[in-house]
Amino acid sequence: MEPTPELIDALYREEVAAARRLTPEQKLSLGGDLFDEVCERMRAGIRAQFPEVDERQVERILRQRLVIARRLEQVS
Amino acid sequence: MTSNDAVLKVAAALEAASIPYMLVGSYSSNMYGVARATQDADFVVQLAAPAIRELVTRLGPAFQLDPQMSFETVTATGRYVIELRDHPLKIELFLLSDDPHDQERFARRRQRPLLGHPVFVPSAEDVIITKLRWSQQGRRHKDVDDVRNVLAVQGEYLDWPYIHRWCDQHGTRALLDEICRSLPAI
Repeated sequence: MEPTPELIDALYREEVAAARRLTPEQKLSLGGDLFDEVCERMRAGIRAQFPEVDERQVERILRQRLVIARRLEQVS
Repeated sequence: MTSNDAVLKVAAALEAASIPYMLVGSYSSNMYGVARATQDADFVVQLAAPAIRELVTRLGPAFQLDPQMSFETVTATGRYVIELRDHPLKIELFLLSDDPHDQERFARRRQRPLLGHPVFVPSAEDVIITKLRWSQQGRRHKDVDDVRNVLAVQGEYLDWPYIHRWCDQHGTRALLDEICRSLPAI
């Protein structure tokens, strides 16, 4: 079942209201914080998928995946 | 090192090397709109060629700056790329161009605190104008989303005559109006 336009608008209003409650300083640092958190989760995923690899290889695979994500972002 | 630490170190190195800069891209649209994770930190810099060597020295070995400048098609400017040895964040330095809006947004930059340290950022209006232009040239959906979010969050606080003036010049007014119409009443 698809969300209704009314639900999509209501969720967006909530998102905007939440953004307005944050200070510019909080929002300026949030993008970096979120990226660091995403990287931690991706590392955990890589370790689960490849339990035999060491941390250097985890970082190498992480960077490879981020390159793919950047390419996808460019063509989206 | 965190992403924000890396951004602050680059900003501090630019200031120490007397290179005027501003932090643009998703860092700045996050500040005025709805924050999303960003894997790139983009700076616009007013850079003379010899200063790049001083910048490399000031950044130290944790930052690997490719001294070869490349051309960026979406923004139509030269850029340097900085990779971090121990962090996957990618930092790009875009050269300030002679483009009239590039010049004006750089002149209008202001300081805002990042983790308590002031960094130069563009105005909300200039984020909108620039991202509309990029979305038209590069067809990047994330730029349209960022514009929509800045418009929704900033709303009545924006300098609309300024935005309209540049969008008319850039041919992005129809896209701006379309995005405005897509916003629900907030």
